[in-house]
Amino acid sequence: MEFDFSVITNNWRFLAYGVWITLVLSVASGVASLAVGFVIALLRLRGPRWLRPAVVFYIDSMRAIPVLVVLVWTFFALPILSGATMSPFMAGLIGLTVHLAAYAAEIIRAGIESVRPGQTRAALALGMSSAQILRRIVLPQALVRMLPAFGSLLSITIKDTAIASVIAVPELMRQSETVAGQSFQPIEVYTFAMLMYFLILYPVTRGVDRFYGRVAHLGRS
Amino acid sequence: MTFDWSVVWDHRVALAYGTVTTILLTIATMAIAVPCGMAFAALRLYGAAPVRAFATAYVELFRNLPLILVVYWAFYVLPILTDVGLSPLATGLAALSLNVTAYNAETFRAGINSIRRGQVEAALALGMSRAQALRRIVIPQALRRVLPVLASTWVSLFKDTSLVSVIAVAELAYVSMQIRAQTFRVLEMLTAMAAIYWLLGYPQAKIVDWIQRRYAVSE
Repeated sequence: MEFDFSVITNNWRFLAYGVWITLVLSVASGVASLAVGFVIALLRLRGPRWLRPAVVFYIDSMRAIPVLVVLVWTFFALPILSGATMSPFMAGLIGLTVHLAAYAAEIIRAGIESVRPGQTRAALALGMSSAQILRRIVLPQALVRMLPAFGSLLSITIKDTAIASVIAVPELMRQSETVAGQSFQPIEVYTFAMLMYFLILYPVTRGVDRFYGRVAHLGRS
Repeated sequence: MTFDWSVVWDHRVALAYGTVTTILLTIATMAIAVPCGMAFAALRLYGAAPVRAFATAYVELFRNLPLILVVYWAFYVLPILTDVGLSPLATGLAALSLNVTAYNAETFRAGINSIRRGQVEAALALGMSRAQALRRIVIPQALRRVLPVLASTWVSLFKDTSLVSVIAVAELAYVSMQIRAQTFRVLEMLTAMAAIYWLLGYPQAKIVDWIQRRYAVSE
């Protein structure tokens, strides 16, 4: 068997663009799902009572539906309902955020709940408002405890961006498919894509573990 | 805007076949990935150094790759490397098994490591052999701790089976999207697909919650 990796060097700009989009989409949907997840977690914990079943329903539904289905529905079905067309990148960002925010919300909720209620009562006794308690007592400890789970969520986010290839987001997976299809050299192209994903993902998971090891003591109480 | 939901009912047989394929694919993958995961966990924990390195490399590699890429890779590369032409279904099963085996191996390893060393030392002090201590002390406790994680892996796997649609395995996602392409009833078919996944997945997610409460470890 002959391998010819010149297909990678010949298309390196095209593939590098895919890596770039993968990174941009990962960061954008990671940040967006954290922000949305934080709001959802607060709604579940502190929101009006009538809203809570709806929030729980949303979270559990996202745990039940494949991200592929969410992405395909967002890209193909949502424009029919809303009348507004979306670029694949926007649809990918929205679909991934809607899906991952549910997971982020659960992580944030677990982190907030892990801080013993005695601390909240002590802060109340000292005259703090509930917003102050959240900001100055609960969140500083909870955020550190959430770190390992955020690390795995980030790696899940990066892996899930590859699924956005099915709605033609020009990220690494999609670009690799295109090059593989044109060059008839799937082995070289997909093996290169594997290497690239591993090079992106492995340092992320290791880096988060290492960082957590350094700051873990801040979350103890 | 007019919607014609009868298209879903008209294709009920195809959708039912797709659903059954999705479920069978989930069961078959788990049936392969649990014993293989145990084997890889054992290799990592008790194997000789080179074997351990190989098992570690395997687990780290497949935990750090997007499944959809593994599916494509298996589809295009496996037949060329092995000279065996596999059906899309068998290829999809292989890709899913490769992925879930890596996750299960890590789950079993963590489960065994979570049993305190003192227990094995106590068992050895009572005159048990290493194998006895493992079989009678460590594994029974580890299995209880591993069960909730396996349950959530199961739900993830159930959802991930949708990814083998990209290599034309006729499971629920592929069948729904085929019908969409033939009938142009995009919204109806995609919504029906999401609803079927939801109907199957929602109870599973709830059962996982229950298992996690039931087998919660408190130390």
